[in-house]
Amino acid sequence: MKKIAIFTVALALCGGALYTAFALEKAQEETALAQAAQEAKEPQVCFESRKGSSEVTQREIQPGLPNVKCSPTTGAALWYGDPFDGTVPMGKMPGLEQLPEGHAVVRPRSEKLAILPMCGTACHNGVGPTANPPNLPKDKRPTAIPVMESLVPDVKDLQHGRGRIWCLDCHHTTKRDKLVDHFGDPISFDQPQLLCGKCHGDKLRDWRDGIHGKRIGEFASDGKKRWFTCTECHNPHNVQDGERNRGFIQLQPEPPPQLPNGMKDARHELVHPVAH
Amino acid sequence: MTPAQPPSIDSGQTESPSAATPASANPATYAPAPAAPQTSRRSFLKAGGMLSLSSLMGTAALMTQSDDAHAAAEWAEHFQKNYRLMTDQEKLEARVRLERRYSAEYGKPVSVDITGPQPGVLMGYALNIRKCIGCRRCVHACVAENNQSRGTRPGEKIEWIQVLRMERGKFEAEKMDHGYPEGLGIQVGGNAYTPAGQVLEGQFHYNPEAVPEKDATYMPIACMQCEKPPCVKVCPVRTTYREGDGPVVIDYNWCIGCRMCMGACPYWARRINVTTPVLPKAEMNPVTHYLGNRPRMRGVVEKCHWCLQRTRHGRYPACVEVCPVGARKFGNLLDPESEVSKVLERKNVFRLKADLNTFPKFFYFYD
Amino acid sequence: MRKLIRFATDYANYVLKGGKQFYAWMATLAVFIVAMLYVFYLQNTEGLIVTGMTSQIHEGLYFANLVFLVGVAAGAVTIVFPAYVYHHEGMHKVSVLGEMLAITAVIMVMMFVFAHMGRPDRLWHMIPPWGIYSLSSMLGWDVLVLTGYLILNIICGFYYLWCKYTGNPINKRWFIPLVFVAIAWALSIHTVTAFLIATMPARPMWHHTVMPIRFIATAFAAGPALIILIFLIIRKTTKFWIDDSAIQLLSTIVTWCLGIAIFLTLSEVVIELYARTEHANGLYYLMFGLHGLTRLVPWFWSAVVLMVGAFILFLTPAVRNNMKLLSIACAMAFTGIWIEKGMGLIVPGFIPSPIGEVTEYYPSFVEWLMTLGIWAFGFFVLTILLKGAIGILLGDIKFGGQTAVAK
Repeated sequence: MKKIAIFTVALALCGGALYTAFALEKAQEETALAQAAQEAKEPQVCFESRKGSSEVTQREIQPGLPNVKCSPTTGAALWYGDPFDGTVPMGKMPGLEQLPEGHAVVRPRSEKLAILPMCGTACHNGVGPTANPPNLPKDKRPTAIPVMESLVPDVKDLQHGRGRIWCLDCHHTTKRDKLVDHFGDPISFDQPQLLCGKCHGDKLRDWRDGIHGKRIGEFASDGKKRWFTCTECHNPHNVQDGERNRGFIQLQPEPPPQLPNGMKDARHELVHPVAH
Repeated sequence: MTPAQPPSIDSGQTESPSAATPASANPATYAPAPAAPQTSRRSFLKAGGMLSLSSLMGTAALMTQSDDAHAAAEWAEHFQKNYRLMTDQEKLEARVRLERRYSAEYGKPVSVDITGPQPGVLMGYALNIRKCIGCRRCVHACVAENNQSRGTRPGEKIEWIQVLRMERGKFEAEKMDHGYPEGLGIQVGGNAYTPAGQVLEGQFHYNPEAVPEKDATYMPIACMQCEKPPCVKVCPVRTTYREGDGPVVIDYNWCIGCRMCMGACPYWARRINVTTPVLPKAEMNPVTHYLGNRPRMRGVVEKCHWCLQRTRHGRYPACVEVCPVGARKFGNLLDPESEVSKVLERKNVFRLKADLNTFPKFFYFYD
Repeated sequence: MRKLIRFATDYANYVLKGGKQFYAWMATLAVFIVAMLYVFYLQNTEGLIVTGMTSQIHEGLYFANLVFLVGVAAGAVTIVFPAYVYHHEGMHKVSVLGEMLAITAVIMVMMFVFAHMGRPDRLWHMIPPWGIYSLSSMLGWDVLVLTGYLILNIICGFYYLWCKYTGNPINKRWFIPLVFVAIAWALSIHTVTAFLIATMPARPMWHHTVMPIRFIATAFAAGPALIILIFLIIRKTTKFWIDDSAIQLLSTIVTWCLGIAIFLTLSEVVIELYARTEHANGLYYLMFGLHGLTRLVPWFWSAVVLMVGAFILFLTPAVRNNMKLLSIACAMAFTGIWIEKGMGLIVPGFIPSPIGEVTEYYPSFVEWLMTLGIWAFGFFVLTILLKGAIGILLGDIKFGGQTAVAK
């Protein structure tokens, strides 16, 4: 009984800590948006590809020239003055060995994932209650874990794989701050492409050749580029985005162009369809 | 990051206050700027002559108008040649003149790049229409980069990219008798007409809560940088022309505003500045190119030039960098390893309005 | 040389003197000209924003008038051609008046070019050696042929007047060949103007082969219609008598050219609307409106009514031979073609735009004022030229003679 009590307390503490961290991330996002909305002197923060995945803070890199411009409407990054803001080398990537040293850089994902450092220390640290996690799964059958579901809401309705995969197909069983490859070896959260390429080989090939996904910086094939990794654009837990099933989440568009001289709206074809 | 060579006029008569700062502190310039042209004694003398001539013009301007650099620069601009016919020396002078004028006008160091086509580069563009979600970030990135007019009066707001919305359409049993044709009743029924795969007119003005919409796909268009551009053919003063590395550019100072090019363009890529462009100082992009995004004047035509001020120095165009879904691809067509070459090699590709034989270097693809 | 100065002073003296009616007419025109100068100033300080032209519809009233007036200039050849090729007696007497009309029309065209440009201050960029002349541009060719036509008409017209003034015989060895060059040249100006818009596949409304011949047909209807009107006015207000035979020949030309023009328009309507492709949208917009936008529909149908009505009137002998009724028919034909070839041809070329956007053209007050002003300037020049020419033809201005005062 005592055992269970300790376990519950530990679980609750752990969950609380994680929740705070997560809430912190949320709050950051919201303030970023609020700042973007009002044209204050404070540094603007704009989100990059999709909301919540990565942000850039505006600063001046030269008089009258910012590193990034944010949309006053949506808070999205609209223009890059400095494409390599806050980047680190990508690390080893099979197939990209021929690139000159330091010419492939990424924004580290781990920095952004606020709860990540705690995963491996607070809960899945190998110590604590007899088993931590309580029971290491014996097989890969899905098991509902209420704590995780409350931490990462997307998990509850995991869209990825349509019920045919679950957490431990991607996340390392014991090292929770890592992803996992086919051999059971850990993959850094900064290199999600190594994980995603396990199944989406064609996409990985296209990504490596620069024709899938996004790269910014120098366009020459051996130029210095910031590579956007898979999870910067796709939410791995919600890739299908419900009914849309297109891999990218819906977002607010930037404002439409100016209406031509004398026109009140642009709906005339909808109102008066072509006679055919 | 190699700092670009600051423009210099060898005669030593002029000090260019703004010239030294902007080009060197320019984060967009990664490639080394072209070496300053070697000046012989002869061109030195010629330059001296030209300078004294332009200073005479400046004096004339000073006497007649206000006493700022602006008037002198405008006066001299009036008599300059077509950009393609200028000597390197004259280009440098034009550059220094413009840098001084723009810096004074916008209250920050402005650089005007004159880098020419780089050897071995032929620019190409590819766009994945399956990926585009219609968020219009490219449209606004383009405006942020290229110093377009941002006014509110009709025609004062200029955007070079349009994102067309295409209907997915819906065929329904109830609509079976609504099909084509109605009029003479030759063939009635069996045709549930729906505008599927069609751009309804005016639909690039869409503004829903969130994109992509369920019933639409999107197709962004801009200048196609044709290999056989109809706009270049019709220009009566040859102010618009195709550069060696692909893009079709305009010498804004030579344009007479006749708008024949706008009529000839099958992609509606060109815009006329119906008035002096409205460009707030704070929003002005100080990294400019002579044939690219430098501030334009009233009455001239402008268009997309694939961000020459960036691409001539190896940078991606602004629209490519900002696309959140990576639908936009840009690269060197002569490099088999470039993104565009890979797209052409691997994907299904088409050119817009291929029937017009304009041979765009802008390709649409899907995967 | 002294003779030339005498010619100029005699000419000016004769032209500048006139009755109250003359001064009132010129003063009215001058008011419009002053207004035109003001809006021209406005357009070149504010920019084209004061007009109704946009990036969607970037050619409007100015270009429409330009195209139409090139036709009027070319139409003057309908006098010169019968006069010199068929040696038509009545025409020969008045052929110089046709040349004066051509000069005026070309000057007006050039003023509309100035009004149309975004940067008229840079027009010298087209003129070598200071500027660049582009052989690939139809606009370049158009400017070339128009300038050539202006020069040809000034030479032919004023040489003829000069000979009449001095009483010297005309040197036919170079004059007659030059007249024939001018006749061919008249066709070229309008053909090139048709090429100007027909060579743009981006604008399917214009992109067809019938355009040049349609231009010529409408020009040879509108030009002589205007000439008949002018002749009737001259007959009424001056001592100069123009033969009925000349007017009748002109009205025959108008009749058949108008008929051909209507036929070509009808053919286009059938061919375009039978298949009703996207390329027919411009014409459809013009005839019926598109997506509920119908601003040009009344223009088109009024042009149809005017042209067909005029054609029927011209076919009726009772009308053709009655100078009063004839003037009505001529005015109808002229107005109908002005609409059909101007607003009715230029504006729908931009609707829908190449990406399918349907917008409408709202000519601004500035544009109307400019257009009126340029027409006023045209009539101003025409009055002076015709008055001088008639003075010489009547013998009122003669070398060594006493300068008579015109009525």
